[in-house]
Amino acid sequence: MSRLQGVLLAVVFVLSAGSSGLFAWPRPALAQARADSFRKEFDEVCAKTADAMTLSTGELRTLVERSDRLVPLLQGLSEPERKVYAKRLLGCRNVYAFVLESRHEH
Amino acid sequence: MKLSYRSAAAATLLLAAGPGRAWTTEPPPDYGRVVLANFAPKAGMAPAQFDHWRHRARYTCRVCHVDLGFAMSPGATRVSATTNRAGFHCGSCHNGTARFAGKPVFGACGTRATPDDDSRCQRCHSRGDAAARRKDFEEFAAGLPRIGTARDVDWEKAEAKGAIHPADGVEGVSIPRRPIQMDKEVAIASRGWTNSVIFSHKKHAVWNGCEVCHPDIYPHTQGAARSSMLEISSGASCGACHGKVAFSLGECERCHLNPVR
Repeated sequence: MSRLQGVLLAVVFVLSAGSSGLFAWPRPALAQARADSFRKEFDEVCAKTADAMTLSTGELRTLVERSDRLVPLLQGLSEPERKVYAKRLLGCRNVYAFVLESRHEH
Repeated sequence: MKLSYRSAAAATLLLAAGPGRAWTTEPPPDYGRVVLANFAPKAGMAPAQFDHWRHRARYTCRVCHVDLGFAMSPGATRVSATTNRAGFHCGSCHNGTARFAGKPVFGACGTRATPDDDSRCQRCHSRGDAAARRKDFEEFAAGLPRIGTARDVDWEKAEAKGAIHPADGVEGVSIPRRPIQMDKEVAIASRGWTNSVIFSHKKHAVWNGCEVCHPDIYPHTQGAARSSMLEISSGASCGACHGKVAFSLGECERCHLNPVR
């Protein structure tokens, strides 16, 4: 067995062991960090819906932008979590947009 | 008295013309009952039966319909044993560890393993025992103010009297926030012969926050939020809740109350 074959065999072994659950890939830790980061920003952005009427136009615009920036990060969440947070995020984003729109109309 | 005659005439006409269910009043133990049948029957289980009255004394509407992600239409949430086991939807509270008023909240149905699990599952996945439900409701509603010919619970008065204390969050799920300050009343002129509607943000926002209604149910700002009773009885606008869970559309004078009560 050549040295190259040995390396390839080792790579195949590591890949198959990882996918069969013999050891944990570092991905879950990364995914957890992404989820924690998402939730931290989500909590900050969506904590102000009850105050939406008293926020300035600039603050509302910033919150809409921050909400929109969170949308791609939903992909990093596991399925049940993604489904729930997608609905929650859309709900709070749309409240801020609604208040902005109502100000514009009046 | 004049208003009563008008209301009776309106109810009679619209009962004959429109979708009837929203105008009639089901017995309080059955009113607001939701059947969740997306997945359970395929797994050989009875659909889950959800009674709003069992929950609305404990939590505001906003907690479930915003924080827990429950849609406003039956079946649209697609809640499943998987989502519950992961700690979402019903599993946010029914997780076997949460407590309410010092008592443990039973866990949602997961993988059945023991006879005890079966009896736990049947608390929701049941065809329903109407007599038991009536008994449960009467025990629950004893001491709560009642209203209307159907003797439904007057939830607004119950909270005002301190008989119920709906929480506005679930620990670990909801974002801590201060109570909403929104007391703007909106007058909606009647197109016909009924009194005009005075819509109270204060009464609605305390249970719903902003997100339940805006912008999905009410995409318009003031001046454009007019809906016909036919639209409402079909489930649009006020009909998203009234006639399904909140008081029925037959109770005309509770909304058409101009001047402000």
